[in-house]
Amino acid sequence: MTPLIFFIASIGAIAGAVGVIALRNPFYGVLSLVGHLLCLAALFLLLHAEFLAAAQVIVYAGGVMVLYVFVVAYVGGSGESLGASHGWLRILTPVFVGVLLLELMVATLGSGLKAIGTEGADIQASFGSPAEIGELLLTRFLFPFEVASLLLLVAAIGAVGLARRRSGFTVGDAPLDAAARSVSPPKGSGTMAEAAGDRPVFGGKVGDQ
Amino acid sequence: MTPILATVNYSEPWWIQIIKALVIFAVGLQLIPLVLLAERKMLGRFQGRYGPNRVGPFGVMQPLADIIKLATKESFRPRTSVGFIFMAAPAISIITAVATLAIVPFGNTVDIFGTKVGLYGVDPSIGILYAFAFGGIAFYGLMLGGWASGSKYSFLGAMRSAAQLISYEISQGLALVGVVMLAGSLSLTEIVDAQATQGWFIVPQIVGFVVFLVAGFAETNRAPFDLPEADAELVGGYITEYGGGGFTSFFFAEYLNVIVVSAITVTVYLGGWLLPFGWHTPGLAMPFIVIGKTCLLIFLFIWVRATLPRLRYDQLMSLGWKILLPIATINTLATAVMVVT
Repeated sequence: MTPLIFFIASIGAIAGAVGVIALRNPFYGVLSLVGHLLCLAALFLLLHAEFLAAAQVIVYAGGVMVLYVFVVAYVGGSGESLGASHGWLRILTPVFVGVLLLELMVATLGSGLKAIGTEGADIQASFGSPAEIGELLLTRFLFPFEVASLLLLVAAIGAVGLARRRSGFTVGDAPLDAAARSVSPPKGSGTMAEAAGDRPVFGGKVGDQ
Repeated sequence: MTPILATVNYSEPWWIQIIKALVIFAVGLQLIPLVLLAERKMLGRFQGRYGPNRVGPFGVMQPLADIIKLATKESFRPRTSVGFIFMAAPAISIITAVATLAIVPFGNTVDIFGTKVGLYGVDPSIGILYAFAFGGIAFYGLMLGGWASGSKYSFLGAMRSAAQLISYEISQGLALVGVVMLAGSLSLTEIVDAQATQGWFIVPQIVGFVVFLVAGFAETNRAPFDLPEADAELVGGYITEYGGGGFTSFFFAEYLNVIVVSAITVTVYLGGWLLPFGWHTPGLAMPFIVIGKTCLLIFLFIWVRATLPRLRYDQLMSLGWKILLPIATINTLATAVMVVT
């Protein structure tokens, strides 16, 4: 069972990764990235890292990729396709990718494959559980953990600041929100009391549903 | 070789797993037509009319008639739709809804003819995160359905549901952190066990309960948060172009999600299979207690739908981000201080 799931998940992961760079339609590219991430989560499950698998799905497939899908569906358009790159990028990109691949292969062949004939590392039942990970984060890896959380806080505040600055620039044309509020409906409209007929009905008949 | 799922407390014999899967699936599916009928009957009563009363005695065969009508409909799709994704989207919705049903604990481990059986589908160590993971994937069902329909109404409905789901998922998760801290575990069965000694978590976590329930209404796209399918402005939202089987699947998934959210709320806040006043729960009565409490919460869902008008889109967003999220955060911090001291 384990090898079967492993091969299905790894083939899916590789196919998803290839799809991301090979598909011309950006929406399908994003979707194949989602497929790739889900297959990675399945591989994590096989490695007894169920917390990591859940985090992978929640954070990446359910959070980050949702925003990708959002933007691509609005901006990318289904009919448009990405054009082929040109110029020096065409030469530089394969060189970079090739060097990266070579480095990965050296690292893999140099270390990971020593254990290929054995049963793998011994793990306890609690390995990869949320409790275990939480303890490690708050003891052994406390400093990197706190630094990462500080970085996230800075990023969050930065995002709020950027969003606020953009709305502050629209001085000439009043923001839609304020314009809508200045013509606020009479008090009591849209309430249950209005529907029940205690006061005159504003803006036409109250519909069903 | 050890079974691959043995380390996630799932080491029962394979035949028990299959029987459990079939029973949970069958019971879960049987609840859907009942909820459907109850909703239509009660909505009728709330609005001073009878509701369905033509098919069978008191209209109880109405869901069956609905299913036959939907199943015999012609299956068609718009010319602008993307065929493969258009067909896959309802399936994604159903698969995620059914998969989430698996972690609802209907009872503790009991002896059935000398065999220890846990009355739940799975009890993984990540517990409630499992539900959130599938909730994250469920988004793609709605989103792809709306996008692949090739219709502006569907697309806008899907976009709304996307924004709504990610906004309320955060509050929902944060509201649950309080419970997880009190129970000291993510596993749903252990959360219920903790409530046997500490009392039901709705008492110390009443704020979290309200936030979780409101976010649950939004997550399941139910009134007053049913903006993705606001009939007046978006026709039917992401399901506009679906008929027959596809529509049935989305409909089915929506009601199954209502059942699952109610059942998880029961488990986390309302003591799961525990009876009030410290009464002892007999072993095999546990599933009935859980289902009974779940039905009460489903009634609350229907009640709210009959009572409250639909929110406007900006109201929905400011409720999620400016009210629920701060409340949930403060609740989490307060609970953390309470647990540590």
